[in-house]
Amino acid sequence: MGLARVAARGFVPDLERPWMQSAARFIVLILVCIVMAVLTRSDEYGLVFLNVRNLLNIVRNASILIIIGVGETITLTAKDVDLSVGSVLSLTSVVAAIMINRHGVDYPFAIVTALLIGAALGLINGLLITHVGLPPFIATYGTLWVLFGFAYLILQGAVIYGFPAGFRVIGNGNLFGIPMPIIVMAVVFVSGYFVLHHTTLGRRFFATGANMETARMSGIKVDRIIITAYVISGFLAALAGLVLIAYTNGSEARIGDSYLLPVMAVVVMGGTSLSGGQGNLVGTLAAALIMAVIYNGMNILAVPAIWQSLVVGLLIIATVLADQWLRRRA
Amino acid sequence: MNPKSSSRFVRVPSAAWVITLMMIIFTAINPRYLTLDNLVNIVLQNAVLLILALGATLVILSEGIDLSLGSVLTLSGVTCVYVMKHLMDSGASNALAMMAGVAVGLLTGVLMGAITGGLISIGKMPSFIASLGMMGVGGALALVLANSTAIYISNPIFSFFGEKLDQSIDLPLMQYLSMPTFIAIAVFSVVWVMLYHTPFGRYIISIGGNESGARLSGVNTVYWKWMVYLVAAVLASISGITLAARLEAADSIVGVGWEFDAIAATILGGTSFAKGKGSTGGTVLGALVIGVDRHGLNVIGVPSLWLGALTETIIILAIAFETILSRWKEGRRWVWHE
Repeated sequence: MGLARVAARGFVPDLERPWMQSAARFIVLILVCIVMAVLTRSDEYGLVFLNVRNLLNIVRNASILIIIGVGETITLTAKDVDLSVGSVLSLTSVVAAIMINRHGVDYPFAIVTALLIGAALGLINGLLITHVGLPPFIATYGTLWVLFGFAYLILQGAVIYGFPAGFRVIGNGNLFGIPMPIIVMAVVFVSGYFVLHHTTLGRRFFATGANMETARMSGIKVDRIIITAYVISGFLAALAGLVLIAYTNGSEARIGDSYLLPVMAVVVMGGTSLSGGQGNLVGTLAAALIMAVIYNGMNILAVPAIWQSLVVGLLIIATVLADQWLRRRA
Repeated sequence: MNPKSSSRFVRVPSAAWVITLMMIIFTAINPRYLTLDNLVNIVLQNAVLLILALGATLVILSEGIDLSLGSVLTLSGVTCVYVMKHLMDSGASNALAMMAGVAVGLLTGVLMGAITGGLISIGKMPSFIASLGMMGVGGALALVLANSTAIYISNPIFSFFGEKLDQSIDLPLMQYLSMPTFIAIAVFSVVWVMLYHTPFGRYIISIGGNESGARLSGVNTVYWKWMVYLVAAVLASISGITLAARLEAADSIVGVGWEFDAIAATILGGTSFAKGKGSTGGTVLGALVIGVDRHGLNVIGVPSLWLGALTETIIILAIAFETILSRWKEGRRWVWHE
C-alpha cells in the first residue's frame, strides 16, 4: 500500500511529515538570509548582514519571540490561542522593574515574584477557559486589555529606567561569548521540546488538543492539562519580559504591546495548527528566526517602523496561503 | 432539565441585569449620574460602537471572527478625512469634498472586507489568522497615511453627521437627538432586515449552524461567507467615518482595541461562537453594557489612571456572568460535563 501511495503521489514530498515541514522552514530561513544579505550589501561596508555580531544580534532579538513562542505553541497544542502574552509580559516586567528600581528589593526575589505572577495570570486564563467556560480567544483577549490597564495603573504612565548590573546580566551578559538571552532561549526551547515530545505531560497536551472528548474518556484530566498549558505560557511570557527589560535597561506599560502580532505570526508560520493538537516547536524556532532576519534587514535598510506591522501582516497571510496550497498539492 | 432554566432571573437577558446593576451603583455613588443628558450622551457615544458591533455579530453568527474590524474603522476614517482635506485644500466645496471623502472611506471598507473575506472564503484560511493579518496591514496603512498622528478636518457639513442636532437646528428638544444615533438606528434597521428577512441572513445563520450541511443543501457557502466579511467591513467603515465626523479628526490609532469591544458587545448580547445563535437586539444591549461601563466610570469620577483597568475588568466579568448564565439557561452546570 505504501508503494502504491508513493506511486500515486509521484515524487511530491510528504509535507505532512513534521521534519519535512521544519526542513522547509529552515530552507526558507536560508533563502531569506541570502536575500537580506544581497539587499543590504553596500560598496562601502560590504556584506554587513553576514557579520558575526549582526547574526548574534538577530538570534538575540529572536530569543524573546522564541521564549514567548514556546509557551504559545504549547497552549495551541493543548487547546487554543493565548492572546494575553504581550500584556502578561508588560505587567510582570513592570512589577519587577518597580520592585527593583523603586523599592530596592533584591533582584532574585523580584525575578521569582515576576515569574510567579506570570504563572498566576496563566492560571487565571486557564480557569476562565475551563471553569467559567469562556472561549479561549475571548478569555485571553479580555485579560490582554485588563492586564494592560493594570500595568498602566501600577506604573502611573511613567517609564522606569536603570537596573543594577547583577540583574542586567540575564539581558546583556555573555557566557562563553554567547549573549545570555540566547542561552535562556536555548534552555527554554530544549526543555519545551523535551516536555512536549518526551514526557507524559507532552502526550497529554497533544491528546487534549486533538480531541478533548477522547482525551477525557481515556482518563486524562483535561481541565488540569489546559490550565497547565496556560500557566506555562504565562510563566514564559514573564521570563521573556525579564530578559527584555534586563537587556533594554528600562520598562514601561506598553512594552509588550507590540508582541501580539509577531508571536501569533511566528507560531502560525511555524506550522502549529490553530485547531489544536499539532504543535511544531522546531517550526516556531525557524519562523522566529525568519521574522528576526526580516526585522533586522528592514532596520538596516532603514524601513520606517510603522511599515513593520504591514510586513508582518502580509507575512502571516502569505505563509498560511502558501502552506495550504502546498498541502493541497501534496 | 435543570429547574433553574425556567426562573425569571434566568430568562431576562443577562446584559439587562448588568446594565441595571451598573446604573444603580453609579447612581448611588453620584446621584447626578441618572439624568436625561447623561443617558443621551451614553447613546451618542455608543452609536459608533453599535454599528461596529453589528458587523461583528454577523461575522460571529457565521461562526467566524474578524479581528480586523478595529483597523478597518481606523483606516476608513483616515482615508475619508485624508481625501476630504486634500480636496478642500485644492478648492473643492465642502459638500463635494465630503461626498468624495465618505465614498472613499466606504470604498476602503469594501476593499478591506473583500480581501479579508476572499482570504477566508476562497483561500480557506482560518478567519482568525486572515483577519489578524489584515489587522496588521490595515493598522500600518492608517499609520502611514496619517503620518502616525491625527488629521484634523473642519468641514461643517461633515461635522453635522457627528453632533447633536441642537448645533444646527433651532428647535426644542433637539439637544436630545444626534446624527450618530440616527445613523446607528438606520444601520440597525438595515442589518435587522438583512438578517431576518433576506436570503443573506438565512444563509449566514445556516452556515454558522452547520457549514457542510448548508453547502450540501445547495447554499453557495463561499459566496455568502465572503459577503459576511464584506458587509462587516463596510459597517466598520461607516462607524469609522461617523467617529471621524464626531471627533472632527481621524486619528491613526483610534480604532486599536475596538474590535474587542465589538466582539465583547456581541458575546454580551447572547450571540455565541458555538452554533449560529444570537440576535441583533442582543447586540444593542451588549453595546449598551460597554457604553454604560465606560461612560459611567468617567462620570462618577474614577481617576483616569484607574479607568483602563477597571473598565476592562468589568467587561470581562460581565462576559463571564453572561456565559455562566447562558449555560444555566440550557440546564448545564459545568463546562465540559454536558
